[in-house]
Amino acid sequence: MTARRTDSFGRQVRQFRIAHASGIRIACYVSSIVLLLVAWQAFGNSFGVLFVPFTTTMVRLWGMIQDGSLPSALAVSGTLYGVTLGISIVVGVSVGLMLARMKLFAASFEPYVYILYATPTISLVPFVSVVFGFYFWPRVIVAVIISIFPILLGTMEGARSIPRQHLDVAASFGSTEGQLWRDVIIPYVTPFAMSGIKQSIALAMAGTLVAEFFLNPTGVAALLLQGTTIVDSGHVLAITVFVAALAVALVGIGELIERRLVRWRYTAVG
Amino acid sequence: MAVYGGRLKGGEAAGGEWWPLWLRQRYVAPVVTGFALLAIWQIYVIAFLPSFVARPTGIILAIPATISHSEFWWAALESFGSIVEGVALGTVAGILVGVAMGRIREVDWFLSTYIRALYALPLIALVPIVILWVGYQPEARLVIVTLSTFLPVAVTTADGTRAIPHEYLDVGKIFGARFHNVWFGIALPTALPHIVTGIELGFARGITNAIAVEVLASIPGMGMSVFEKSAQLNEDESFVYVVFLAIFAVTIRSLMIRARHWLAPWYSG
Repeated sequence: MTARRTDSFGRQVRQFRIAHASGIRIACYVSSIVLLLVAWQAFGNSFGVLFVPFTTTMVRLWGMIQDGSLPSALAVSGTLYGVTLGISIVVGVSVGLMLARMKLFAASFEPYVYILYATPTISLVPFVSVVFGFYFWPRVIVAVIISIFPILLGTMEGARSIPRQHLDVAASFGSTEGQLWRDVIIPYVTPFAMSGIKQSIALAMAGTLVAEFFLNPTGVAALLLQGTTIVDSGHVLAITVFVAALAVALVGIGELIERRLVRWRYTAVG
Repeated sequence: MAVYGGRLKGGEAAGGEWWPLWLRQRYVAPVVTGFALLAIWQIYVIAFLPSFVARPTGIILAIPATISHSEFWWAALESFGSIVEGVALGTVAGILVGVAMGRIREVDWFLSTYIRALYALPLIALVPIVILWVGYQPEARLVIVTLSTFLPVAVTTADGTRAIPHEYLDVGKIFGARFHNVWFGIALPTALPHIVTGIELGFARGITNAIAVEVLASIPGMGMSVFEKSAQLNEDESFVYVVFLAIFAVTIRSLMIRARHWLAPWYSG
């Protein structure tokens, strides 16, 4: 596209945007981060006790890491998170497969799965605490109810959408039930389950926080609430930023795992 | 219902032969299961748990007394009003920012770090800092619900307006479309199903986060009432609030599905 006429300003801008796309891209990313940090630093002291500058926030974060309060809170929350995610994967995949494979089970329970899915789980917390108490396993129950559904529904959708030809071919080659699962069902369902797991990696974090906030606060949630009660915004801001970074990292890991495990999907023929 | 277990063995569902014919009627199995679940709940509570624990008969008996009280309707008005208001604000803001991100690459590059980071973050983690900044006020709930909707709507709108078929834009160009014609006349209608998905997500997250703010900041509303009644050991009454929260959530969800069919009938999904 060569411009024969005298270039108008708009056209010059357009050509610049196309010619320097990657440079502009990097400039945008860098400037957005720099701008936030500069604004944060500059306005950090202008809201009294409600806000602190970026450097103060980082110093507070480092202080909490050094005195061990953040690591020990993370250990508590991390345990809950790990157990929640593990149970969500195991129970979610198996119930998902059962809902797809067992007619009577599906007909009986599917409406209730959807009702539980739509109910704001957080409102069930008082009921859970009255029935089961407010220590580790009740927390796991609440967190699992929050994080299980993408895996469960994803697996179910996947298992229901296996093309008939796949099953017919397996049957005509006389495959046993075990072979059918190993060669057809599990490979076919894996990508669906994985995209559910990817979502649940993020949701399990929300579940962990809900369970910790509302069932006798522990871990990271307790640390956050501690700062709120004494109106220590530096403390709360430091943990919030840390949790945000953790969430981004976890989502990134989820995407990485999904891409790695599902690689065959893009390379396999047909 | 498409269940491959049946097809596998060929012909009629082999897995379904043993159960009686009357159970195969469409609504019979769920209803029977529902009553069975309620019965188990009832018997379990009577047999093993203290008498104040909510049980199905207790909840049903508590409904008239609870909903005839004006306190219930005030709580509902406070919570649901605030949720609807927050979702409306978040939707408008999300659509504007999302269209800008979808149509102008530089805006996308500039904002995506923050939008995607906040989108990944469970917003419940923001509740303490928002309470600290806004105060122990109903506005804290509004801010959280607005954010809960803004983020998914911005992300889905950006994704939807970015992926416009090229023919649409070419036709627009031929007819001399200005940028606002492209944005609001072509991009936005194309992205409608995505936007509705975003609003649906916003409602789901907004309801949960509204309850979280109410409980953590002691703001009157449905969520606050659930926890308060439970703390006073009015477990049955507390559960009536849960039931109405669930009804609200289910109603919104089905309205959204209907809205998607109505706004974009060409998407059958």
